[in-house]
Amino acid sequence: MTVDNTAPLISVRGLTKSFGERQILNGIDLDVKQGDVVSVIGASGSGKSTFIRCVNFLEEPSGGEIIYRGKPVLEAFKELPLYRTKVGMVFQQFNLFNNMTVLENCTVGQINVLGINKDEATKTAMKYLEHVGMAGYVNAKPHQLSGGQKQRVAIARALALNPEVLLMDEPTSALDPEMVGEVLDVVTNLAKEGLTMVIVTHEMAFARDVSSRVMFLDKGLVEEEGSAEQIFNNPTSQRTKDFLSRFNLMK
Amino acid sequence: MSSIPTSFFGWVYFLLQEYGGILFKGACVTLLLAIVGTIIGCIIGLAVGIVQTIPEDSNKSTFSRLLLKCEKWILYAYVEVFRGTPMIVQAMVLYYGAMSVFQIDMSPMFAGFFVVSINTGAYMAETVRGGIDSIDKGQKEAAVAVGMNHFQMMRLVLLPQAFRNILPQIGNNLIINIKDTSVLNVISVTELYFASKSAAGVYYRYFEVFFLTCVIYFIMTFTASRLLRWWEGKMDGPSDYELIEYDPMQDPCGHFPINPKAK
Repeated sequence: MTVDNTAPLISVRGLTKSFGERQILNGIDLDVKQGDVVSVIGASGSGKSTFIRCVNFLEEPSGGEIIYRGKPVLEAFKELPLYRTKVGMVFQQFNLFNNMTVLENCTVGQINVLGINKDEATKTAMKYLEHVGMAGYVNAKPHQLSGGQKQRVAIARALALNPEVLLMDEPTSALDPEMVGEVLDVVTNLAKEGLTMVIVTHEMAFARDVSSRVMFLDKGLVEEEGSAEQIFNNPTSQRTKDFLSRFNLMK
Repeated sequence: MSSIPTSFFGWVYFLLQEYGGILFKGACVTLLLAIVGTIIGCIIGLAVGIVQTIPEDSNKSTFSRLLLKCEKWILYAYVEVFRGTPMIVQAMVLYYGAMSVFQIDMSPMFAGFFVVSINTGAYMAETVRGGIDSIDKGQKEAAVAVGMNHFQMMRLVLLPQAFRNILPQIGNNLIINIKDTSVLNVISVTELYFASKSAAGVYYRYFEVFFLTCVIYFIMTFTASRLLRWWEGKMDGPSDYELIEYDPMQDPCGHFPINPKAK
């Protein structure tokens, strides 16, 4: 496959999604370039999660296109699973494989999907587990971990596949307040290291501090998009202003 | 021969000495049929359950979608037919049917294994389907998100978890099979019931012999049930929720403390 390095990593064009009669997304466009950290914000029911789930085809888009390095995903990849290893996913509910240890969670994809040998996979997994501060827990089962720890392992699991983009669907929404910090620390570090990410989040201060761009979704449409500075300090749309006024964003 | 006993327990003891060996052999045949039948049945059930839960993917060609529909329909028919007819009748139809229609003279034992297996398979197929469906949707999504295909997801993530959930039902099936193989006496499989009937017929001591039979059946089923319980417990692993060691990142009083031991 020829790779066009100047093209955005992922482009979303006119993405629509409806569940039966109900239209959730009404045509969304987004370009994610190498090194971008895009935060997707918006009220509940605005289609944020549906949007991010469409990007890796967990939900099949009803219309529009997802383009990977200049080529529509369905043309660029013979099989969706191959594409999905390029875009890691972190879920709100962690979704660690309950029947596996922490280490196995991080190696199973490498070994079975990418065909990497076990030693190599273990090495990579350990590297990322250390990165998220979970290297001491390799033999623990998910039920022995706290929420924040689970989410950190889930991040390591996604990173172990060496994805080009990491999608995060409200990574801290299911956590107790005192555990939000540890997960955001990890994500902030990843952002500093230049990992490309698309993050759906309700943590406004976090979105303001880490994102290179922010997309505000409202009723399945992009209401406003721009740099974090622009969206949080000088929003132009009234909807965005109303939405942001509910958060106390004083430094 | 020793003198004819007069009391109930005298008879039981007498018959145990006389026919204990035959009853023991019968019990072995029963166990063999039940265990092998349950294992093969589980394998059939797993296979059917996996196919039944393949999602209908609109990206696939019309032909492969049609093929999948046909497969599902055939498996559905199999489950309904074998769940919906008594095993005793299936044994008769299969054993005598094979003989008269296909001229296949299968041994009663083979027919027995066959009937028990496909019967258990039909029940297990539904159990497996339920077991797979009962697993949190997030597990499937995570498997898909790390790039697994349907069969990898089944083998690595869903079945290991579903298996633990359906273990009690597998135990149920084993116990039912231990008891229900008794119907195979109609095709003269020499299992425990068949052996008991033969033994009882000699002295016309039906009550005493079947009392013994009853005890033997109960010992078998009770042992099976205890063993399965033990296995379930073993699969669950240790139940302590204690965290393995101090996690500096989890400390809300500060991130990455330099020396966690100092606290």
